[in-house]
Amino acid sequence: MLLILKISWRNIFRHKGKSIVIGVILFLGAVIMTLGNGVITGMDRGLNKHIVENFTGNIILISGDQKNEAVIFNFMAESVEIITDYTKVKDFLKAQPYIKKFMPAAFGAPLVLNEDGGEPDFNYVLGVDFTEYRKMFPDNIEILEGRYPDPDERGMLLTDWNRELNFKYLLGYWITPENEELNKANLIPEAGELGDSLKVKDRMIFMGFNEKNTTLDIQAKVIGIIKFKALNKFLGFFNLIDIESFRECFGYFTAEDSASSIGKEANKILKLDDSDLDNLFGTESMFEKTDIQKNAYDISSLKKETEKTKQIDVDQGSYNQVYIKLTSETPLLEGVKKLNQAVKEANLNVRAITWKKGMGEVADMAMIMKGALFIFVMFIFFVAVIIIMNTLSMAAVERIPEIGMMRAVGARKTFISMMFFCETSLLSFAFGGLGIIVGIIAVQILNAMDMTTTNEMLQLFYGGNAFKPYLGIVDILLAMIQLSIVTVLSTIYPILVTRRITPLDAISRD
Amino acid sequence: MSIIEMNNITKIYPLGNTTVPALRGITLSIPEGDFISIIGPSGSGKTTLLNIIGCIDRPSDGTIQVGGREITDLNDNELTDLRLYKIGFIFQTFNLIPVLNTLENVEFPILLMKKHTKKEIAERATQLIEAVGLKDQINHKPAELSGGQRQRVAIARSLVTRPDIILADEPTANLDSETGASILRLMKKMNEEEKTTFIFSTHDPDVMKYAKHIIKIRDGIIAE
Repeated sequence: MLLILKISWRNIFRHKGKSIVIGVILFLGAVIMTLGNGVITGMDRGLNKHIVENFTGNIILISGDQKNEAVIFNFMAESVEIITDYTKVKDFLKAQPYIKKFMPAAFGAPLVLNEDGGEPDFNYVLGVDFTEYRKMFPDNIEILEGRYPDPDERGMLLTDWNRELNFKYLLGYWITPENEELNKANLIPEAGELGDSLKVKDRMIFMGFNEKNTTLDIQAKVIGIIKFKALNKFLGFFNLIDIESFRECFGYFTAEDSASSIGKEANKILKLDDSDLDNLFGTESMFEKTDIQKNAYDISSLKKETEKTKQIDVDQGSYNQVYIKLTSETPLLEGVKKLNQAVKEANLNVRAITWKKGMGEVADMAMIMKGALFIFVMFIFFVAVIIIMNTLSMAAVERIPEIGMMRAVGARKTFISMMFFCETSLLSFAFGGLGIIVGIIAVQILNAMDMTTTNEMLQLFYGGNAFKPYLGIVDILLAMIQLSIVTVLSTIYPILVTRRITPLDAISRD
Repeated sequence: MSIIEMNNITKIYPLGNTTVPALRGITLSIPEGDFISIIGPSGSGKTTLLNIIGCIDRPSDGTIQVGGREITDLNDNELTDLRLYKIGFIFQTFNLIPVLNTLENVEFPILLMKKHTKKEIAERATQLIEAVGLKDQINHKPAELSGGQRQRVAIARSLVTRPDIILADEPTANLDSETGASILRLMKKMNEEEKTTFIFSTHDPDVMKYAKHIIKIRDGIIAE
């Protein structure tokens, strides 16, 4: 081995020109690969931070009957199947040790109605319990105007992005939070140009519809104007609305519905089928004996009733998705697998999917960009392999007399192969290693530059508003593995060429 | 005792749609310790014969034994090992490894054997370098040596593994007559000291006078 190393090392210096060509390619390839890995990882981390930590969690639990898994970002605004019996699901999720936090929600795309007339269009809304939402995603939004809703307060948080889009293309009036002065600094130029003629409102009218084609209108007061701290151009499509209003809008079973007790007789009627309608007129069922209330307006009973309304458990109503954050030590796919297994065992009609599936097109776009970058890195990788392979093959042909002589005096093919491989490996180690170091430094510099963008595509590419490439140990190892693969692949053909060189070839050259 | 036994060796090279016979039924026996010159005009088959004896080419037909071992059915690794342990080569163009110095070039084949200590290898190589008169050039690279000196290094390298046979294909062809003569004297000396069989090809009549035996070859057959 020492002999091989000695010959290889000296050959590198003997063929300086070729060594430099191969070395420079390896160096540039390693820099680009390392940088590319850094950008891909940075993008992944950014998306993970901004979507997983601040919008969906790692896993989304959906109804077992849900067909399209893009339950959050589907441009067709398809309705999402309801999760039945959420209270059982809640107890089940609480018992899973690998789940750190979870929060139920309901996604829907109601039509926004214009009180002044005009064509309606969709807005995405996320029905949440604001208190729970804040616990789950404590630092994801910024209140631009108004305030965060009080516990159990009815109303909505409108995103600045939707306010702008609604003004331009849908409503023609500007929306401010209830009881708030118009903040002129936040007006978009088109609104500002209208001056005093600008119409301002503090409510939005949504028309939801359910599977039975029933349409339901609600009026939601705007409590605050919000902005997502990152990826606002994407996440800003989602207004937040209190869950009870959402349920009313979409005809879901509300918590209030569940709190209302159904009388014994009403229950009996509900259970009747069409063929039994005659029973409705049975004398027994028509009347019910009851005591006459002497004190109809008993203040204590009214007070009790009010308290009961306030203490409504919102979880008694319907949701259509649950956002789940896993413990840090649980890998995403393992978490999904575990959860689905446990769901099956618990016989619940729900299904766990990754946040990427739930985010639909947005995650797809991000993955496409990641894929494009990966293909670019692989292209560099491929070009490097081809150039090195050619250079080494030429070197092998030029060295036929030398290699043939070595074979004649007793060097086996393995020795020659090892010698060639060793030469490329030494170059790869020196130049490629330097390339990786330069790549690491470049990633640190780019990180320190704190480049930000408002461009949506770039935001996806960055994985957030700022370009934050990142290199972990795994990425550096990956760069080393990629470099090793380049080295191995680029020497395969030249080695095959050298292995075909016979002592006879050396003599023929004489 | 014969070190090489050849029986009805033929070698045919394909050339387009036709074939060219290089050797046509050579039967030959070379005794151990001999100093043989194979002579003949260009294209007579000298080099082909040396290549087949040296296990770097295979005959088209016939059998050949080197050191008592039939070689026609050996695989590539077996032939390589046979060359390493039994045969030394001296090429016309002094083929040395350019990046190794004189000592390292001479040590090269014995290092491939992986059975001697570093000290044994160095001693054997140094002894041979001194024997070929290159003591002062022991650390010189091939590029720093003259043609004659390089061929001396090649001779030392061919002897370092103590082979049974040394094959030299026109070893003096690229040297001036004086240097060529000194190389042949050296080969003769080594033949006597190391008891190694030397087989060399030439078409130089001056070279032939050093040989104990001469094999004359013409049109692929032994003429006398």
